[in-house]
Amino acid sequence: MKKILSLVLAAATCAGLLAGCGSGGGSESSAPQSSAAPASEASSEAGGTESGGELNIFTWDGYFPQDVLDGYTEQFGVKINMSNFESNEEMLTKLEAANAGDYDVIVASDYIIDIMRRKGGLLKELDKEKIPNFKNIDPNFQSQFYDPENLYTVPYGPGTPLIVYDPSLVNVDIKGYNDLWNPELKDSVVIMDDARNVIGITLKTMGKSFNETDPAVLDEAKAKLMELKPNIRTLAMNNLQDVILSGEASVGYMFTAQVVMALQANPELKVVYPEEGMGFGIDNLIVPLNAPHEDNAFSFINYILEPEVGAKVSSQIMYLCPNKESAPYLPEEYKNNAALYIPSDVLGNTEFIQDVGEATELYDKIWTEFKQQ
Amino acid sequence: MKKVKNYNWALVLPIYAFTILFVLIPLIYIVVLSLLRKDILWGVTNEFTLQNYRKMFDPVYLRTFADSLGLAFGTTVITVLMGYPFGYFMAKLAPKRRAFVMLLVVVPFWTNALVRIYGWMIILRAKGVLNHLLMSLGLIDTPLKILYTYGAVLLGMVYSLLPFMILPVYTSVEKMDWSLVEAARDLGANAAQAFLTVTLKLTLPGVLSGFVLVFVPSIGLFFISDLLGGGKIMLVGNLIKNQLMQARDWPFGAALSVVMMIMTFAIIFLYRKLTHSSDLEEFF
Repeated sequence: MKKILSLVLAAATCAGLLAGCGSGGGSESSAPQSSAAPASEASSEAGGTESGGELNIFTWDGYFPQDVLDGYTEQFGVKINMSNFESNEEMLTKLEAANAGDYDVIVASDYIIDIMRRKGGLLKELDKEKIPNFKNIDPNFQSQFYDPENLYTVPYGPGTPLIVYDPSLVNVDIKGYNDLWNPELKDSVVIMDDARNVIGITLKTMGKSFNETDPAVLDEAKAKLMELKPNIRTLAMNNLQDVILSGEASVGYMFTAQVVMALQANPELKVVYPEEGMGFGIDNLIVPLNAPHEDNAFSFINYILEPEVGAKVSSQIMYLCPNKESAPYLPEEYKNNAALYIPSDVLGNTEFIQDVGEATELYDKIWTEFKQQ
Repeated sequence: MKKVKNYNWALVLPIYAFTILFVLIPLIYIVVLSLLRKDILWGVTNEFTLQNYRKMFDPVYLRTFADSLGLAFGTTVITVLMGYPFGYFMAKLAPKRRAFVMLLVVVPFWTNALVRIYGWMIILRAKGVLNHLLMSLGLIDTPLKILYTYGAVLLGMVYSLLPFMILPVYTSVEKMDWSLVEAARDLGANAAQAFLTVTLKLTLPGVLSGFVLVFVPSIGLFFISDLLGGGKIMLVGNLIKNQLMQARDWPFGAALSVVMMIMTFAIIFLYRKLTHSSDLEEFF
């Protein structure tokens, strides 16, 4: 009996070691800006105190410019506690463990807010009396599927994944997703390591939606996706711009901030608004139902919506600007950046990636097979 | 006979508490989770099912196991071929040099594994150190595509795990009784015969320890294949991560983890059967 027990424990310890290697490495690699567990403890301690001079923000690391935070603290005398997460999923798991409390302002992506709203008991309705700047929000970024009546969310970081390429290395005139399949681009495409986005653009080339759930259509998409494999140089989630800048690949399909960084380092790169229609995503500010410092949360959101502050935020975090009054304060450099200042007629032809329910499993299976080829 | 009161249990208590809290309870949690049904919206339902285990028999998912085992096996074979001679000759060095070589083996571990893998990316990339070197030596005229290939993944795996083979081999060679080799030579065996019949057999426990220490982690390491292989290989580790991060299917992720633990368990069980020893003592 003792022997068996020791064997079980030995196995478990080894498995623990292995899990440690795997997940530790994995999560670090999926977010190089990985960060501060102590901060999250600090905030949950603070969470219990009476609403007063504090504000607990829960966000991805580096998503709020420091001068913006300092400006708020200076103006309102509120001490800000930052806690970071690495994914929406981690955020929601922690928020549920905290019974929708502990945090006052959270940044979360569209699809997870949709899940939170449908689940219920997690989101607090925004008190617009306390957020007079709510009127500054560009309506283009409002009334979306996750919050059709604009009760819970304030858009903070909207972005569109785009194609970017190095015209000195590519002889193809790239107009849309379909050109990524061009045999001339063999072994030279870098694309995000994300099932929904990549299967999504495949569906777009077939004239379908990012959120297709019909198994027959998905089967067709799978066949088409497999043909993309020879062109893929690498799949990655972080620092895709480096793969282009280092010459490892010549064409990329990547998230807004990455496109911006690529353009800043090499202005010769060309940006393509895919003709099949672009993907769209919006990270929003939300207030959890049991936020300990609710009034500070509203005053902070109102502060972020000040035209000048909004311009500071968007030009530093490098996302589209959701504040329609911010335009005069945006730097020229920002306005000239093709990834950030997208013509509104192009922006009209976008689609969100939404939860597909049961079909999630099909997407996962297609993705697994794609990687095995 | 007078019975002495035994307080040993008090000393062992913290270890038991630690094990129960941080090993046993999470383990039970994972096993229970693997038997639940996924909630379509978020999280899990209270319904029990074996569906998550059944799903693994789909050829697509079975293949991730085959790919993981294949990579682990390849890694282990190469580490044995490189690590055995290294450990063997290291043990035969003069003590001062031996300490120095030991230092060289261990020092890289003071740096985070991820950082070292990023270092390899800089070395291997098209405009990287290695291609520059080869081109300036005139060996090639266009950069080789080394990064994002299976070879790069193998290189990274072997690089990361080689010390786990070297050290147990070194230990077993070092404590070997060399008079047995002398006896074999005296009885007429040539150097090769003496090595094969005596040295190799006596150091086999070290090799087997190294095998376990390399094979087991390499089934689970997936960030190396993500970074050096360009994410083009789907290993069980990737699959588990995707269940948690993308597919939001925690029960399936848990079931995959349970099967991985069983595989680890089987390998250690096999090791014990083969060596008749209770732990990886050669290493410690």
